Amino acid sequence: MLLSQALHLTSMLLASASFIGLTLGAGLPEWLAAVTGATLIAVLLRNMGMKPVDRLTTQMPVSAVGWNLIVLGGFVGFWIDLLWVSGDLLPAGLHFLMILMVIKLFNLRLRRDYLHLYAISLVAMLASGSLTTDLWFFPIFSIYLLAGVWTLLLFQLTKTSEVSGDVWMSAHIRHTSHEENHRVSPRLFWIANGLALGAFLITVVIFFTIPRVNAGIYQKGFGENLRMSGFSDKVNLGAIGSIKRDPSIVMRVELPRSPLHDARPLYIRGVSFDQYDGKVWTNQLSYRRSLIEESPGTFTFRGKRAVSRSQLGEAMHQKILLEPLDTPVLFAAPFIESVTGLFPSLFFDATGAVYLPFPSSSRIEYTVVSRATVLVPADLGSEPGPYPEWVVRQYLQLPLQSDRITALAGEVTQKHYRPYEKATAIQTYLTSQYRYSLDAPLAEQHQPLEEFLFERKTGYCEHYATAMVIMLRTVGVPARLVTGFMATEWNEYGHYYVVRQQDAHAWVEVYLPHSGWIRMDPTPTEDNPPAGGPVWKVLGLIVDNIKLQWNRLFVQYSAADQLAVVRELKAEGMSVRNKALDSMTLLFGAFLTVLSGIVPHNVSQVRIGVLGELLGVAVIGLAVLFWLRRSRPWVARSLWEKGRGHELVIAQYYRRMRTYLTGQGFSNSTAIAPLELVEITHARWREAYTAVASITEVYCRTRFGHLPLTPEDLKHTEDQLRHLLELRKPQA
Amino acid sequence: MTSTETIRAIQENIARVIKGKPHVIEMCLVALLARGHLLLEDVPGVGKTTLAHSLARSLDCSFKRIQFTSDLLPSDIVGVSIFNRQKQAFEFIPGPIFANIVLADEINRTTPKTQSSLLEAMSEAQISFDNKTYPLNPPFMVIATQNPAEYHGTFPLPESQLDRFLMRLRIGYPAPEEEKKVLERASSLHPAEELLPLLTAPEVVQLQDQVDKIFMEESLTEYLLSIVQSTRQSELLSLGVSTRGALALSRAAKALALVRGRTYCLPDDIKELAPIVLSHRIMVARQTGLHQRSFEQAERIIRDLVDTIPVPV
Repeated sequence: MLLSQALHLTSMLLASASFIGLTLGAGLPEWLAAVTGATLIAVLLRNMGMKPVDRLTTQMPVSAVGWNLIVLGGFVGFWIDLLWVSGDLLPAGLHFLMILMVIKLFNLRLRRDYLHLYAISLVAMLASGSLTTDLWFFPIFSIYLLAGVWTLLLFQLTKTSEVSGDVWMSAHIRHTSHEENHRVSPRLFWIANGLALGAFLITVVIFFTIPRVNAGIYQKGFGENLRMSGFSDKVNLGAIGSIKRDPSIVMRVELPRSPLHDARPLYIRGVSFDQYDGKVWTNQLSYRRSLIEESPGTFTFRGKRAVSRSQLGEAMHQKILLEPLDTPVLFAAPFIESVTGLFPSLFFDATGAVYLPFPSSSRIEYTVVSRATVLVPADLGSEPGPYPEWVVRQYLQLPLQSDRITALAGEVTQKHYRPYEKATAIQTYLTSQYRYSLDAPLAEQHQPLEEFLFERKTGYCEHYATAMVIMLRTVGVPARLVTGFMATEWNEYGHYYVVRQQDAHAWVEVYLPHSGWIRMDPTPTEDNPPAGGPVWKVLGLIVDNIKLQWNRLFVQYSAADQLAVVRELKAEGMSVRNKALDSMTLLFGAFLTVLSGIVPHNVSQVRIGVLGELLGVAVIGLAVLFWLRRSRPWVARSLWEKGRGHELVIAQYYRRMRTYLTGQGFSNSTAIAPLELVEITHARWREAYTAVASITEVYCRTRFGHLPLTPEDLKHTEDQLRHLLELRKPQA
Repeated sequence: MTSTETIRAIQENIARVIKGKPHVIEMCLVALLARGHLLLEDVPGVGKTTLAHSLARSLDCSFKRIQFTSDLLPSDIVGVSIFNRQKQAFEFIPGPIFANIVLADEINRTTPKTQSSLLEAMSEAQISFDNKTYPLNPPFMVIATQNPAEYHGTFPLPESQLDRFLMRLRIGYPAPEEEKKVLERASSLHPAEELLPLLTAPEVVQLQDQVDKIFMEESLTEYLLSIVQSTRQSELLSLGVSTRGALALSRAAKALALVRGRTYCLPDDIKELAPIVLSHRIMVARQTGLHQRSFEQAERIIRDLVDTIPVPV
């Protein structure tokens, strides 16, 4: 492919990438997206040599003045758009940008038109980058980067090969005698892709090491918050059922400290309810107090926990990425001990639920440490202890109800004495005697619980849980209804649970005198057929994991993560790095001292070390490159197999030869012509004559004659130069 | 026979007569191939005429010699119209200028009027006489000689006319051993008479056409122009090189490349030719106190200027 053709192609790719980025990120109006897309395709087809398109576009009777008028029209349109149509600077500006791009695409004649196009693409890319945080931005950005590197490279190459200044000749009407020289060789191909990869890697390094100041200014909200029910002060019986068919993802829960997972369902607690009036559950203990911020970003209960004096299980660390919901409840596995995240403040109520000050309109990420209560043996044996007064007051409330429930509860628990045994009996009864079904009518019922227990005998979690709580309270065991999620979808690739709306669940917490609140779930497990084939399932898991990591590493990337990444890096290559680090510190000690003065103290010493290391590697790399270029020019051989590349290499050899001869005491005047130099060498240093003459001959032929060069010539010249560099002129 | 070999053969041919002056012979051929005219400036008796003569003899071309004197008239060069009684009309009798190679001996001895009659012929290769134009047969080359040592009774050539010569050459005395060979020649015949022609006129034209195809790299053109520029900016010179001068240097460089068997120019070509192609086109400034019309002065100034211009690498 000709270089100019390739440039055209990559320019189009660049423009397309930024266009797609903007379309996905900013949501352009359909007509504008269609016009821009069609223009891109048309221009691309013209470059491919499609004759009709070519004729169509070249025959457009628009002069330079005409184009300027069109641009002016676009500008007027921008003002109209700004004042009346969109009424906002950002969308109006973006629409104007796209219109400019379309105009430029039709008007690509001069090299500076191409530069304008690149500038427009860059602005569009920046705009879409700040408008979105979605995963699709990553491939678009990669394409943009690749196309960008290619374009810059080709732009420079065509610039040097262009004979007459500003006039851009269309790729397909160009037939010069040097056409061979302007083709994309495989070598150029790999070099360009390598450069793009390098640029990408540097970007990644910069991304992870330079401290971040802020997220995108125009970061868009995530649209409508997910509508939730069952997580407020009041919940109708049967409310959760409405969301049980919705597969949208609510959160992802990562368990970083427990690498081995036995795929048990994880209960994620939201809120609990103590009062039931026969239809509606309410929370009477909803008075919220703020949590204590122990250290910046970390909020703890510190002894004020509602579930006090219970024996606690092991600490469970969770990292939760919560989608925007319309409830301020902060979900976590029970029972929360501390929450870490970027919150202004957090609140809790007496039931142990934790709340944000207001529902978040964007994704939030937080880390929770919680400890579950464990069943103490004292509750299983001997006498049940007395219940505390506040438990009796709050958790034995019963609605007005028919005696059938009281009778049923007594019947189920009549053989049992201890509260835990009673609870287990009711649980077993409900699990075995009733069938799980989502088909329960959602409409208002007169007495939903009675209907569930005695008539329909089918229902879902809320019915089961309500039934169990009421039955327990009837037999004098304090209990409450808890709503939350039951996470079952374990992603083994990313080591986290995916929690969806349909995982919404309700269960029961039973108060035991010694153990505290113990979770019990009377709902029988639903036999759900797995959706899709195993391959799709695995693929879905992997894609979801990538999404999570994208969000974690790039969108939500914070200084703390940065530190973690650096720490991990440090831990991995500790032994190898230590030596290098030591020598680097010796070398750049002074610099590091200065740096540590500038960098705030909370930035760890590790970071400075890494920075110094990078700097050192860069300096050494540059020094090596410089040395190679100067003393071993053949190492820095051509980028291209044919054409101007050779000319450049030979010129470099010649220059090196001249520098060397100057070093050996020859005149260093730049006015010495090549053959003259040969004669001077002949007169003054006979040993070097052959080498100098041979190098000069090839140089003249290639440089001034533009004659083809064989690989043998190149090799020979290389050898001669090597030979010459070994010679030492005898001192006269 | 390739063009390179032909050119070499002619060089060797002339060298049999003009001993020890290969460089002068080469330049002579450069002037011929570049379709230029040659000004030989030297003291009498160093072989100026012989050089011109032997060049003409080596080519199968017509050769005329005009001895310029103070009473020479333009018609002595161009030709005259004579009334033909039989035809009852004026008839143009062509003068000696109608030849392929014209030797204008001691050109500065004649009056400016006569000198300028050469002008049209040299620049346009044609003669206008009595409202009629007579083209000259190619190749056409004027080799003029002048004696720099004499000033009495001479009419120095005006700049406009000097500009029409491609180059100004000096022959110089031969080295003693070469001079000895000249003396040892045991022949009564003029040495140039012994030469055999090697090229016909059309073949010379063909070679001249080849010069146009010699490739000059862009950076070399820039190099050449920066030399020309420097003569215009130099404080030592009151008159720099004209565009015609730049064109002449470019043509000469291409011709030299052909003579040396290359298809492309080198910086060396330009650098070597600059003094002899440019030195007669400049005027040394009065304030310098240097001899204004001195051959050596002008050449040195050009050479010094060229030595300050960086060669493209």
